[in-house]
Amino acid sequence: MLLAHAATLAEARSYLAALADHARSVEASSAYERALIELDWVHGDDTPALDTAGITRDCDIVMGLAVCAVQQLADYGVDALHIELVLASLADAHALDEP
Amino acid sequence: MYGENGALLRAELASLLTQHRVQLRIGGDGTHSVPITSTDAERRQIGDQIGSYRHAALLWCRQATRAVAPHTASNLNPRQPNPFRLPSLHHGALGALALALDQAIDAASARLPTLEELTTPQDLPMVEHWRQVARAAALGEHDFDAGLRRDSLDARQTHTLIGDIAAAVRALVVLDQRYSNIPGWEKLHRGERLGWAALACALDASLEPPDYALDAHGWRPKAKVITGPAKPGLLGVLQAEHNLVIRMKSFPSAMNLRLVVDSQRLLSAGLAPLAAKTDTNLEQAWLTRAQTYLDLQHQLRNIGGRVGTGGLAVTEAANAVSRLKIIRRDADLDPRALHAFTTLFARLDARIADIIEAGVKRNGYFTRVTMPRIVENSGQLVAPPRHRYLPLAEGDQTTIIGLVRDRLRPPPQPPTAPAGAARSRAELHSAIVHQPGTGTTGPSLSM
Repeated sequence: MLLAHAATLAEARSYLAALADHARSVEASSAYERALIELDWVHGDDTPALDTAGITRDCDIVMGLAVCAVQQLADYGVDALHIELVLASLADAHALDEP
Repeated sequence: MYGENGALLRAELASLLTQHRVQLRIGGDGTHSVPITSTDAERRQIGDQIGSYRHAALLWCRQATRAVAPHTASNLNPRQPNPFRLPSLHHGALGALALALDQAIDAASARLPTLEELTTPQDLPMVEHWRQVARAAALGEHDFDAGLRRDSLDARQTHTLIGDIAAAVRALVVLDQRYSNIPGWEKLHRGERLGWAALACALDASLEPPDYALDAHGWRPKAKVITGPAKPGLLGVLQAEHNLVIRMKSFPSAMNLRLVVDSQRLLSAGLAPLAAKTDTNLEQAWLTRAQTYLDLQHQLRNIGGRVGTGGLAVTEAANAVSRLKIIRRDADLDPRALHAFTTLFARLDARIADIIEAGVKRNGYFTRVTMPRIVENSGQLVAPPRHRYLPLAEGDQTTIIGLVRDRLRPPPQPPTAPAGAARSRAELHSAIVHQPGTGTTGPSLSM
């Protein structure tokens, strides 16, 4: 795993974790957690640590950042279908998080 | 379980001890009003059959003495005031009982009952009681290798078991004396000595108050997965949770553990409102559990490890959550089913705590650490980062260990004695000194 890939993956994981932390319901939080687990599974659980410190609490901004980071993973050779599946589960979680 | 086998043994011996006039009960003579229905040869055969059943009970007593004998101290031994010196482990009465049992068994010509004799009901009620005694003794043999040994019992439990053995031996000696009129009956070798040794053991054991939590030890059948279609309503959730507890016996990989933890968080948070109508304490306990699992989930995000399985556990966890989702909030639920979750939750929490602690100890789980260093001479055009995993035991993981030990693991429950444990013993002791005609129907003195 290259440095840029690891940094992007760490960012994506951090944004997903931040979304789970600030979700409005238990179900939505759990759905974000499962999206995070799915992202880890795509990488064979060989992923860097996450850090949610300093990430804004605005869910829409964090959601945009998370989608962007996950999409960027395609540049580092991650299978495009897997990325779409992670994005789909992320969208499902976001739908549960709607007020 | 020793509680069941021991209670069966005592109950059947007590029934036999209350039966006097043995000849009459096997069709022999004894009174003018009852005709003789069996020949001498038949009574001899019945005596042989009883002898083989008694042999099984004697063997159980011998095995029980051997299971507790090593390193068992007598209550008569003086306390060792010096903590750096071992107390005396001599137990004279138990040694004498073991020797007397060995001699009685070696001298006996009886054979052990076959499996068919153990399982086929007998026509005569008295022989049927003996069959149950032998059956309890045979079943009780499982217990010694499954937790009914000296190393898994404390001193008070060991002495309680010695008291039980002594009572069973006393009962056999009394019955042996009573059956001496049966044609061809083989008396116990040096039965008086056996009786005195048992009495000495019983008196020694009675110096300390008994601990009937002993009954919870021993062999138990393994809990099995409940297969088949999902049960309706809350029972389906209970079924999946039960199966999850069993499936978690295998060590799960870190990712599967995270999925199970997520399911328990959802399950506790989902069940709490359902319990609110029947028991507010239960609701509060489950909300606390949901919070514990939420914190655990946060801790596990940065933990990886590919060792382990857990696929089946994840499936059952997903079943539990999906079945809970279709239960209506206003549905009438059986409070017993709700309380059943408490037991399953306690077992699962203890197991997950064990898994995490074992993962830390065996280096099965690793904490993710990204090291901000570049490998310079990797031979590649672009230098990769050196990120590595640290074993949990090496890193500073006091948070997750504290969480597991202080909040997740349920507080240890002291083992409790099952209901009727003391009564079962009291009934046997009462039966040992039973006399015919001393009950309410007995003859009364008239002036």
